[in-house]
Amino acid sequence: MPLMPKRIKHRKQMRGKMRGNATRGNTVAFGEYGLQTMEASWITARQIEAGRVAATHYLRREGKVYIRIFPDKPVSAKPLETRMGKGKGETANWVAVVKPGRVMFEIGGVPEELARNALRRMASKMPVRCKMVHRRHGL
Amino acid sequence: METIKATARTEIGTNKVQRLRKEGKIPGIIYGHGSDPVAVTLAEHDLDVAIQHGERLLSLDMGGKAQNVLIKDVQYDTFGMEILHVDLTRVNLDETVEVTIEVKLVGTPEGQKDGGVLRQVANEVRLEVPVQHIPEEIKVLVTELKLDDRLNLSDLELPEGAKLLDDPASMLCVVSALAEEVEAEETEGEESTQPEVIGERNVGNEEQAE
Repeated sequence: MPLMPKRIKHRKQMRGKMRGNATRGNTVAFGEYGLQTMEASWITARQIEAGRVAATHYLRREGKVYIRIFPDKPVSAKPLETRMGKGKGETANWVAVVKPGRVMFEIGGVPEELARNALRRMASKMPVRCKMVHRRHGL
Repeated sequence: METIKATARTEIGTNKVQRLRKEGKIPGIIYGHGSDPVAVTLAEHDLDVAIQHGERLLSLDMGGKAQNVLIKDVQYDTFGMEILHVDLTRVNLDETVEVTIEVKLVGTPEGQKDGGVLRQVANEVRLEVPVQHIPEEIKVLVTELKLDDRLNLSDLELPEGAKLLDDPASMLCVVSALAEEVEAEETEGEESTQPEVIGERNVGNEEQAE
């Protein structure tokens, strides 16, 4: 089942802007390798789940896959063949807002080659250009 | 220990420092040992090479005057590609310093054949170590680990004169059995597909009670 919040304060949100780069969550923190977005976008809960499944199946449940983003923003849509007006539509999707630099997924406990391939599969499920990043040690 | 040329810096502030970066220079600061901090400029290429080689200790050549410094902190840009700023502390070659060192696991554990997965809990350790014996990384052989075996920080082979600052009883790595993946449960009606709105249900209950 795709990710979504358990409890929320407000049913609907405004769309907002995605200016600037990620200033937090832009380094590999849990695993050894990460998938970093190069663009700002909304990542839907389904896309996150598709990425997770793609990597988990490829790794044959070796290693560990970490999801560093959470879809906590509701996106509403009007039903098909509905006339305009009559208020904002109901929530259709849950999305995570990502800005350039954000590390979306991480993989640990597998060799680099395997992690690289798994991250490539994950990247193909994402609506943004991505790149692989390593954990930076010490400094 | 690599020698890098440095010059005292008078350019302070975002705009001036950005101009320096465009010229291939990195702004930095030297502090410690009770002396006043000194703003410096380093060549980007030299610093990058030193960091790539795992150097912690540098010898700064400031107008013919040599000074030993330790790389304390490095700031990177959003994508972790370019160095924005570097913090350096003055050190004597006979003193001990606190550093964070990477721990690298080497080999494939025996327990992996039995369906186990090697999980590294601590990627770095904090050490108090003589300046001249700072290791680039600490390697740990894990080939003999069986299923459910673990290593603690106390099992690390530390370099000469080093003292562990982290808790020795904390876990370094473990070979654990794979947990069965729990299949997502079928959604129970429409209620479970929508999250609870905080406060909304309470209002409804109160109205019913009245």
